[in-house]
Amino acid sequence: MIAAQRVSAAVPARAGLGLRGPHVAEIIATRAAVAWLEVHPENYMSEGPGLAALERIRRDYPLSLHGVGLSLGSAEGIDPAHLARLGRLVGRLEPGLVSEHLSWSVSGGIYLNDLLPLPLDEEALETVARNVETMQEALGRRILVENPSAYVRFRHSTIPEPEFLEELARRTGCGLLCDVNNVYVSCVNFGGDPQAYLDALPAAEIGEIHLAGHFRTARQGRLLLIDDHGCRVSEPVWALYEHALERFGAVPTLIEWDREIPALDVLMREAARADALMRRASEGVGRARVA
Amino acid sequence: MPGLRDLQRSFRVALLAGDAAALAPLLLEDGMSYESRLDVYRNNISGSLSAVLAETFPAVRRLVDARFFDYAAQTFIRTLPPEGPCLHGYGAAFPDFLAEFPPCRELVYLADVARLEWLLHEAAFAAEVPPLRAAALASVPAEKTPALKLRFHPSLALLEAPWPIDRIWEANRPETGSEETIDLAESGVRLEIARRAGTVALHRLDAAAFAFRSALLEGSALETAALAAFERDPGFDLASELAALFREELVTGISR
Repeated sequence: MIAAQRVSAAVPARAGLGLRGPHVAEIIATRAAVAWLEVHPENYMSEGPGLAALERIRRDYPLSLHGVGLSLGSAEGIDPAHLARLGRLVGRLEPGLVSEHLSWSVSGGIYLNDLLPLPLDEEALETVARNVETMQEALGRRILVENPSAYVRFRHSTIPEPEFLEELARRTGCGLLCDVNNVYVSCVNFGGDPQAYLDALPAAEIGEIHLAGHFRTARQGRLLLIDDHGCRVSEPVWALYEHALERFGAVPTLIEWDREIPALDVLMREAARADALMRRASEGVGRARVA
Repeated sequence: MPGLRDLQRSFRVALLAGDAAALAPLLLEDGMSYESRLDVYRNNISGSLSAVLAETFPAVRRLVDARFFDYAAQTFIRTLPPEGPCLHGYGAAFPDFLAEFPPCRELVYLADVARLEWLLHEAAFAAEVPPLRAAALASVPAEKTPALKLRFHPSLALLEAPWPIDRIWEANRPETGSEETIDLAESGVRLEIARRAGTVALHRLDAAAFAFRSALLEGSALETAALAAFERDPGFDLASELAALFREELVTGISR
């Protein structure tokens, strides 16, 4: 087969969208003005029409593969068959970015379809570092690792999460994906300071930012935020995003929306808002340099 | 303090079996019970997997109503959770589970409708392979024809049921749902499911064509498949039935 002409793989420092089923046909037909797109590779691991449509889309858009199923935190290691499938997909789609999560989802050969929390201690750090190295070696490239939303914490966690991520990047050479909504959700759920969290991350390692909506609820009279990707990005998260841009500069920023998926133009407006904030941040940096 | 492997096993048991005895001592409780916190993960898992099943089995869901479907789905998820992250493969065992699930034993046709929906789902996800033209048969010498074997499009599947499940399915699809009454005693059906030009289609076959295509799909030689068809119908027209397989773009390869 002859590879069709494609746009460059590089994901630009602009706002992109998570590509979801209901929008695929519209994006192909209208060549919607989106700077780049991100998908979950697990949805494209059969050689069916879905993958063919994604290859069509890849001709016009840079792509990011954001894994949800590799279970980098599993003590039993990562599934070599799943990693091989991911490797084949990376070869076919030439994504500009590949990322996964600081979490686990596989235990005893059972796949728990969620991003489950790790105790933040030396054993977990060694486990994740080993799995990240296996992944990077198999794919022959650097990956980004994302901070998850948390709903429980372990008594024996000894390392603050930003420090854990920084040390993971130092040991493996991986980059980091900063999910600003997850920072906010976890900090509200456990009474942390989200700006201090961002300030503690190593700015040079941040290769991508995620923005999404969350759901507010209460349990036993206490506020609980749930990262459900089911609505617009909340105002406090936009404010935190501005702080992140001051810290990290403009980096590729994704709008994620997975439940009750709205019309494409709603997502495009969220992306436009992120783009405007990124432009302002770069201009601000430019002025600072001139001064 | 347990190692990470034991902690993850305890977490899995707490989420799937609801028993947090081993996990609880490891969790911080600051103003909110650990059960409330674990429920967030339980709801994420059961909600997302239920949604996967509801999307794959919409007619089954309409037949039993959404609340009962959720109950059956939750039981299935706890009994047979996924073994990998490619969730388009999750639900293959749901039809057999429904067949054995006591609360819906009276809906004798339900498992067969679920089997049909699973095959339609698989056909939509199957790999794309270009069809072979009938002209390819010209390269087969006459004396080799009886031993000829065919390879078929990965989406092709055949299903036989003692109820009119195609009509039950049609009447319960979200797109075409109706309130018509279907007589179960009407007739059994032999169905073919295949994707052509991007669209999954379903149609009935007669007994001879079904026997012919089933035998070929299972890897039998042309002669064996033809004999199976003649057994059902002495008037079976082999030449035109063979041509139909190519015309319908079902054949992707031949081997002698």
